[in-house]
Amino acid sequence: MTYAVMTSKGSKKWEPVQNGGVAVGEDSSFIHNEYKRSAEHFLLPISRQWANPLTRFLTLKAEWAAETCHLSSITEIAMNSAYQQIIGMGTIAIPFILSELKKNPGHWFWALKSITGEDPVLTEHRGRVRQMTEDWLRWGREQGYIV
Amino acid sequence: MGKGAGIYSLSIQDIEKTFPSLNESGYTVTSPETTDYNCIAWAANQTDAWWWPDSFNLGYWPPEIPRKESIDAFIKAYGLLGYVICENSQLETDFDKIAIYIDSSGKPTHAARQLTNGRWTSKLGQLEDIEHNTLDSLSGSEYGTVSVIMKRPIIKK
Repeated sequence: MTYAVMTSKGSKKWEPVQNGGVAVGEDSSFIHNEYKRSAEHFLLPISRQWANPLTRFLTLKAEWAAETCHLSSITEIAMNSAYQQIIGMGTIAIPFILSELKKNPGHWFWALKSITGEDPVLTEHRGRVRQMTEDWLRWGREQGYIV
Repeated sequence: MGKGAGIYSLSIQDIEKTFPSLNESGYTVTSPETTDYNCIAWAANQTDAWWWPDSFNLGYWPPEIPRKESIDAFIKAYGLLGYVICENSQLETDFDKIAIYIDSSGKPTHAARQLTNGRWTSKLGQLEDIEHNTLDSLSGSEYGTVSVIMKRPIIKK
């Protein structure tokens, strides 16, 4: 069976790897990754699951969303302990955050700004979540985080 | 927590668990969930931005008003839109009213806007808009209590 494997290339870029010369689409990669994650979830002890950055990110993201989704304060949303742990993951979390932003525009800007030290959001877009998302996705493409 | 249709969605039971008085006092969900705007914008009848004076410069905040998470800054922000502090939340036919909630440390947490039928409309963070019968139904550990009521004349077209 041939799978596309998401792997790090250089320090930042994540690209699908084609196995045996077979091109694999984004959907197949997603299915593979979900399969792999499910298998790991079922088979691995919690301590080892936590060592997987994607699993850790998804677990923390779910915890953060459940605890803050009814809040309006950006500060409270960002000071949530799960969110702070995602920031603590550092640059390894950037592709996961950008991928999440692409699917569901949301309050990832504090984390991205904290981790990268950059702010690609245009002044006139401040507070406009969809436009801020576009600004960060453009930055992600420019930096090679999004293929 | 259970999940609904959206990524951040709480189930109805979870909303009622977060705000235990809602079910008893009565409420209606009136919109899908969205991150386009929050309760502070919604109280001001705005739906194009997330209003918040955070120190990281992420939220929209009127540039004329100090970017501070204080009740004074919120009163000034709504003051720009013509609201002035008033005494009570009773329905007055010629006025729009809003209520600002604060937590135990005095920081604003939430705002609600009165409708012409006397009910209140609130945007629950990144979740849905709801109509609720009383301001107290959102009081509690999450939003604290109502600190200030403001009103402005309704402009008749």
